[in-house]
Amino acid sequence: MNWDRLKIPVAVVFLALLPVVFFEEGASYISRIFTIFLMFAALALALDIAFGQTDQLLLFTGGIVGIGTYAAVTAASSLGVSLWATILIGGLFAGVVGAVVCYVAARRQLNVIVISILTIALQLAMIQTFNALRDITGGNTGMEVPALTAEFITSTFGWEPLTFLYYLFLLLFTILMVVHWYITHSKYGLAFDMIRQDQVSAASTGVAVVRYKALAGFVTTFFMGLVGPLYVQIGGYATPGMFQFATVDVLVLIILVVGGMRTIYGPIVGSALIIYVNEALQAAQEYRTMVFGALLIVLFLYFRNGIVRYVRNEVVDRFDLGDRVPT
Amino acid sequence: MAVGARLLIGLLIDGISSGLILAMLGLGITLVFGLGGVLNLSLGVFSIIGILLAIEVYDVVPSLVVAAVVAFAVTGAVGLVIDRSLLSLVYKSEGDERTLVGIFATLGLAFLLEGALIIRYPDVYSVHADFDPFQPLGIFIRGSSVAAIAVALAVFAALYLFFNRTFVGQATRTVMQDEIGATLCGINTRRLRTLVFVLSAMVAAIAGILYSFTGEVGIASSFSLTINAVIVSVVGGVTSISGTVVAGLILGIITTYASAFVGAYFSAISLFAVAIVVLLVRPGQIAS
Repeated sequence: MNWDRLKIPVAVVFLALLPVVFFEEGASYISRIFTIFLMFAALALALDIAFGQTDQLLLFTGGIVGIGTYAAVTAASSLGVSLWATILIGGLFAGVVGAVVCYVAARRQLNVIVISILTIALQLAMIQTFNALRDITGGNTGMEVPALTAEFITSTFGWEPLTFLYYLFLLLFTILMVVHWYITHSKYGLAFDMIRQDQVSAASTGVAVVRYKALAGFVTTFFMGLVGPLYVQIGGYATPGMFQFATVDVLVLIILVVGGMRTIYGPIVGSALIIYVNEALQAAQEYRTMVFGALLIVLFLYFRNGIVRYVRNEVVDRFDLGDRVPT
Repeated sequence: MAVGARLLIGLLIDGISSGLILAMLGLGITLVFGLGGVLNLSLGVFSIIGILLAIEVYDVVPSLVVAAVVAFAVTGAVGLVIDRSLLSLVYKSEGDERTLVGIFATLGLAFLLEGALIIRYPDVYSVHADFDPFQPLGIFIRGSSVAAIAVALAVFAALYLFFNRTFVGQATRTVMQDEIGATLCGINTRRLRTLVFVLSAMVAAIAGILYSFTGEVGIASSFSLTINAVIVSVVGGVTSISGTVVAGLILGIITTYASAFVGAYFSAISLFAVAIVVLLVRPGQIAS
């Protein structure tokens, strides 16, 4: 029995049961938190493909999510079609931006530090551009976004809008998990491992480094772009501030690292923990930034391998359960 | 002189003043990165700490010089504590890994300090400085710009003398060029890193105080100050002290004209655009 293949179905069943257990009618506060949890897990898993697999530290998640959002919303309103029809356009638009950035970075042989600075600068430029393009984004004050609804589904299951949105995120997250699994279990994963460990040797054995890095950048940003139109459904509006580095990127990074890079469960565990901490700190709102700062320091100094890897090494390997437990 | 020319010259002086402030901030990044490979993403917080200290001291002793000197010294002390504690842990790792850990540890530090400060200082602040503007030949020149230029030039002169005329300063430059060689010559690298980190914190404090002459600054501004500093440092070649000063001047002048003639958003975008182009055209120095 190949337990590895069961990872994704187990995760999907578990995540699909959460609303049944926890969501209550009229308690939109709880369903909102679970939806946000799943969204950040998706963003972290998407980032893992570029950062975890190919060592490209892209620090413009927020900006890319924004590009996906505005591209989809603008396409919907200018073509006069429903937002459903243009979600893919948003994803493709964001993906092309990410692929171009990663292609250029790989061609110029930028290392991980330069890519991180480059993408931070791009992120800030994107936010300023969103602020400046008032016609498209509504500037500082933001704009309302068309709702993503499907009457026949929500009425069939008796779902509230947020429950529907949760399952929409679950659908996206499932596709992302499958893509992640396929990538890491195919020749792509092999190439990514080689590139990450030693780029020069990878290139000298015939791995098309530039192409693979650009591809990883495309997949990552494509999914981030798809998250965009769903993200803005939570509040029903979009402001440039929602896509800022401090709002999106910091959480995504902490989640990916605390959960564990290059694992499928890492983003789920990390997101659950961090979003829980974030909510627990709502009562002590003023200490929130402080606690997250301290968390970031401690995590990166002492805990760079993440919870999932820690459990795998300390618990699973120590008791050597071998074939009986998926590792 | 035509009105247009007067306006351009007035703006040029503002640009030079903001450029020198940017150069000081950029130098804070350049020195620490050049010496220890740590990209200090908490630099802007030290500027804010400097501003807040100056304001607090000014309330007790209403003298700008005293306030600035105390702020300068205390920010340096804060820098010393951070260096001895957090950065000692960061320096335990080596090479690329250290740079990566450094980015996240200092980013975390920035959030930690910002979060601690915002509890007590939730507003926007500026250091009170009543400099009269003057108008030679009908050119409107802000007193604060001239003061900023004068202070900045004094700081750069002091740094120039330090790095070129003193043994410790020359030892610092040696480490930036060849760490192993310097260690073999008996230079204590870790000590110099401490010195330079404290120096960068103090320069950032002065830059912050000068910056707040012309505008109000809140805790949230610290991140954009840091990013501006990183951009200046990157454009200047990351490990080059003179390059950083030139880059600061050029970017200061560009952004001042851009914000006067095109708009504030475009001014910020132009700063990032220059950084992105420079990173793509010549990434060599920071990559090595």
